[in-house]
Amino acid sequence: MKTLILGLGNPILTDDGVGPQVAKELEGRLDQQEITVMEGSLGGLNLLDLLVGYDRAIIIDAIETVGGKAGQIYRLDLEAFDATRHAASVHDINFATALELGKRLGLALPQQIDIFAIEVVDTSRFSEECTPKVTEAIPLCVETIVQEMEGGQDA
Amino acid sequence: MKKVTIDPITRLEGHGKIEIFLNDEGDVQNAYLQIPELRGFEKFCEGRPVEEMPRITPRICGVCPGAHHMASTKATDAVYHVDPPSAAKKLRELFYCAHMIHSHIAHFYALAAPDFVLGPTSDPSERNILGLVAKVGLEVGGEVIKHRAYAQDIQTVIGGKATHPVCGLPGGMSKPITEEERKDFEEKAKSEVEFGKFSLKLFNDLVLANKEYLELITGDIYTMKSYYMGLVDSNNKVNFYDGDIRVVDPDGKEVAKFKPADYLDYIAEHTEPWSYLKFPFLKKVGWKGLVDGKDSGVYRVNSLARLNVADGMTTPLAQAEYEKMFDTLGGKPVHATLAFHWARLVELLYAAERLLELCQDGEITSPEVRTIPTATPDEGVGVVEAPRGTLFHHYQTDEKGIIQKANLIVATGHNYPAMNMSVKKAAQGLIKKGQVVSEGLLNMVEMAFRAYDPCMACATHTLPGQMPLEVVIRDSRGEVVEKLSQHLHSELTGIRVTVVS
Repeated sequence: MKTLILGLGNPILTDDGVGPQVAKELEGRLDQQEITVMEGSLGGLNLLDLLVGYDRAIIIDAIETVGGKAGQIYRLDLEAFDATRHAASVHDINFATALELGKRLGLALPQQIDIFAIEVVDTSRFSEECTPKVTEAIPLCVETIVQEMEGGQDA
Repeated sequence: MKKVTIDPITRLEGHGKIEIFLNDEGDVQNAYLQIPELRGFEKFCEGRPVEEMPRITPRICGVCPGAHHMASTKATDAVYHVDPPSAAKKLRELFYCAHMIHSHIAHFYALAAPDFVLGPTSDPSERNILGLVAKVGLEVGGEVIKHRAYAQDIQTVIGGKATHPVCGLPGGMSKPITEEERKDFEEKAKSEVEFGKFSLKLFNDLVLANKEYLELITGDIYTMKSYYMGLVDSNNKVNFYDGDIRVVDPDGKEVAKFKPADYLDYIAEHTEPWSYLKFPFLKKVGWKGLVDGKDSGVYRVNSLARLNVADGMTTPLAQAEYEKMFDTLGGKPVHATLAFHWARLVELLYAAERLLELCQDGEITSPEVRTIPTATPDEGVGVVEAPRGTLFHHYQTDEKGIIQKANLIVATGHNYPAMNMSVKKAAQGLIKKGQVVSEGLLNMVEMAFRAYDPCMACATHTLPGQMPLEVVIRDSRGEVVEKLSQHLHSELTGIRVTVVS
């Protein structure tokens, strides 16, 4: 199964870089032909472009939630994001809209997309390092994904 | 594993905000647009080797990495006093045309067209690219994706990476392209030219043929008389990659033409207590506040500005469309803010034609793509036209090439004063005393600044992956009377997730 592992975020914007950092760790751990590990700070249509041609995708991204605890890792699937599909946007279309567009156009999109979202604190300051609680969460996120990929099934 | 429900929020400072203040009569007194600022970039750059900057700066923004990469690469040329070989310049411009195509297609089809094709006050759940495709046909959606992918492929091959390019070096490019790659690019460029023509036809049929929309574009609420700035070649024609910076006044008369390195003689920045972002203005005209006209130093950049400052386009099809646009809208310069969309499509066609020209250039596969720098590095400025407007990168280094100081002026920065004024004018024209402010009405206020394709870099990708905007309306006592945060929490609450840790 052709799998894309994508760390989303800006690697020089403190906690926003958590996705790329997890991806970087995974690159060394998941040396398999069928797995592509990538990182990028993009969204909307640009994200859609990257997903085409893969059977499965795992996306690691930063998230902020009401009352959230820094470093908390959540796992979401696509249905979770379906509610956001209709929200308009100023700059680019959102992820759910982009995927829906891809689906309607019959693009070869992954059958399964899992999102690992890590609760972050600071995403408006330039730094290559995440804040401590977020940094501490990286190994667990990496292990969870490695286990899942090596086990070949849902953890 | 435990299942819980979460309510994602957008970062507190990470969203744009429009505040509209009403007077005692309920009319719009004032309107402000606030854009979040990322902190500490200069400090982050200080102490790093300058040649790293073309790889660092594309990270500032997930939307226009190609523009930052090129402006930064050109600034490193200047820092090292090195002139890249002709083939390297052509290869950079080829890459850059692909970047413009990629960006302009997204803006028009995903962000601009839904307002016109579905109507500015139509149901917001339909007023998006899905609604657009439902209306104009799935095959159009397929063409949009295909031509973005072509432009992306070209950028990936030359840029070395799918998303954040690494090809530019002081004095040239990291590698040439092969004949096989050139042939592939040429076929794609031909297709892009056809798509550019198609997009203008679509605009003609769906927007210009509709009297109501044409009136909306040329109407007073979306009109603003300002100065314009943009890059031009030696014949004063539009060029995205290189040239001099030309400024025209609200009558279209050239008032300045300068080299990138002299930008500080022409641009100054004003500060306001209510904004982190600074307000650039033309130094020689002066800051007169957020007002339009010839006495105010407010200027605009981006597509329409580039066409307003130039004497034309270098490619035949784009030149014809350029003439048509100015003929239809009453001659140069055009002050209609919504015409930024039209100008963007003229530029899409130009970028495609120029891309094809460069693909067919005999020198484009030359292996001579690098001049090794030998001078001692000190200081340099690099400028390109980013999709959203003129982009300045200015670096100062020590004799080892270590950054001492970095200054960037980005497109959205130049346009920030004008965006504020456009928002205020639209709000004043649309919101009248005692009236119920509907979502559709607010969308029409938003259209005033969406035309500038503003890039608020920080908020483009963090989940749920959309740029939020909050609109707050206050009465004469400053009390909030209405708050529309359509892109914020409202539709994003109660997401079911599994807790991993």
